[in-house]
Amino acid sequence: MSHIHIEVKDLSFAYEEKHPVLQEVSFLAGEHDAIGLIGANGVGKSTLLKLLVGLQTDFEGSIRVEEIPVQKETLTQIRQKIGYVFQDSDSQLFMSNVYDDVAFAPRNYGLPEPEVDRRVMQALEMVQITHLKDKPIYKLSGGEKKLCSIATILSMTPDIILMDEPSVALDPKNRRNLIHILNGFEHLKIIASHDLDFILDTCNRVILMDQGRIVKDGKAEEILSDQGLLEAHSLELPLCYGSRHHVL
Amino acid sequence: MSKISRAIREIQTMEELAQRDQWVNRIHPLVKLFLTVFYIAVVVSFPKYQLTGLLGMMIYPLFLFEMGELSVREALHRLRIVLPLVCVAGIFNPFFDREILICWGSFAISGGVISMVTLMLKGIFTVLATYLLIASTSIESICYAMRLIHIPKVFVTQILLIYRYITVLLKETDRMMQAYALRAPGQKGVHVKAWGSMMGQLLLRSMDRAEELYESMCLRGYHGEFYCGKSVGFLGKDLAFLLIWTAVILIFRLFPVLEYVGSLFV
Repeated sequence: MSHIHIEVKDLSFAYEEKHPVLQEVSFLAGEHDAIGLIGANGVGKSTLLKLLVGLQTDFEGSIRVEEIPVQKETLTQIRQKIGYVFQDSDSQLFMSNVYDDVAFAPRNYGLPEPEVDRRVMQALEMVQITHLKDKPIYKLSGGEKKLCSIATILSMTPDIILMDEPSVALDPKNRRNLIHILNGFEHLKIIASHDLDFILDTCNRVILMDQGRIVKDGKAEEILSDQGLLEAHSLELPLCYGSRHHVL
Repeated sequence: MSKISRAIREIQTMEELAQRDQWVNRIHPLVKLFLTVFYIAVVVSFPKYQLTGLLGMMIYPLFLFEMGELSVREALHRLRIVLPLVCVAGIFNPFFDREILICWGSFAISGGVISMVTLMLKGIFTVLATYLLIASTSIESICYAMRLIHIPKVFVTQILLIYRYITVLLKETDRMMQAYALRAPGQKGVHVKAWGSMMGQLLLRSMDRAEELYESMCLRGYHGEFYCGKSVGFLGKDLAFLLIWTAVILIFRLFPVLEYVGSLFV
């Protein structure tokens, strides 16, 4: 049986009273899971990811990351275990060059400089951008920024990776490259996206959300091929299934 | 290119200059920071009529321009807004101080003119020294040097974050101005009716973006101490650079070196 990394139980959250964003959300995520979090705009996918890393702590219910409850006192421990990739890479990258940005977290955790260097180079190698090491951030393309954002969390050697709309603004080649890189990670991954083809290529499990609740949790291929279910929740079949269906 | 885009480009160009692999760039940031502050203090300390002595202080910026392969013309161009303001400082001196100090035949120069030129030069030299520090040292390295001399982390972090947020604010402004211009053809600038909502939007958007940046920092272990780049070892060449330039600046301050040199040719 795989080790449980994340346990979410009866989670409810609202930014404003009377307007709940998440309602009684519960799920377990194991170490080998690659979970696609899907749903229409505004169903609470990004909020759920933010709660998992403790960017909001005034929720009801409980979240446990590797047995540690997510609360203000445990945020340092939790954030060492989870890497969160923002939707907009410009929000994630704030140092002047790639190396310093990737080194930001290891330095904050007080690692000696040789270890920081080792981790930075390892993270850059994992996403295949060692050649961009000294490049200023503002000179990176959209795809390079996304890979750099991923490298910034890999240098923390997290057990869990959360990604919010990773394929947005990527051209087909960069998108394919990102799929290839994500499939190479053995971490627990939770990817929130509207790009169902991307989810199909990277995830083995899908959680479908609507109106702040989990509607369906199951195997990616089963859920993503269920046209009726997807359309009932403002989604469509992935293009690969759609085109196959059309041809048939 | 809009004025805002040009301003963003200027900031990026300065960052590129600071990240070049030049001899001056590789000098320890603490040495450059100390020498810049020391140089400014010495320049400012010159008496108001000691123009020849002050001219000798040109040696430090000239050396750095030469060794750092930096263009004086580009520097003056970048400082085109600041330098006139600095020069205005002593503009009224000729009216208040009319005592004649130098006479060449019928041509006389009053103390007010000399003190005005001295003040202008002091301003120009101090601005150039600061420019040279920024053009040869990244903001992270400068902040790292400030932390080495135990300047409180709250100040250092403020400087770093303000520097980062300036670009964020400029980019947001640029986006909004572009969106406005596309829907207001033929208008110069922003109509006064839209000022309020534009400023409000700009503030809210910048706050959102700033909050996301802060969240991103917190998620990567930020606890109030900004680790400003790679720690740099203090090498023999850094010590030599520090000692030699401290001595040169002091010699030019304490002795009329240019007058000695001039007397050799008379």
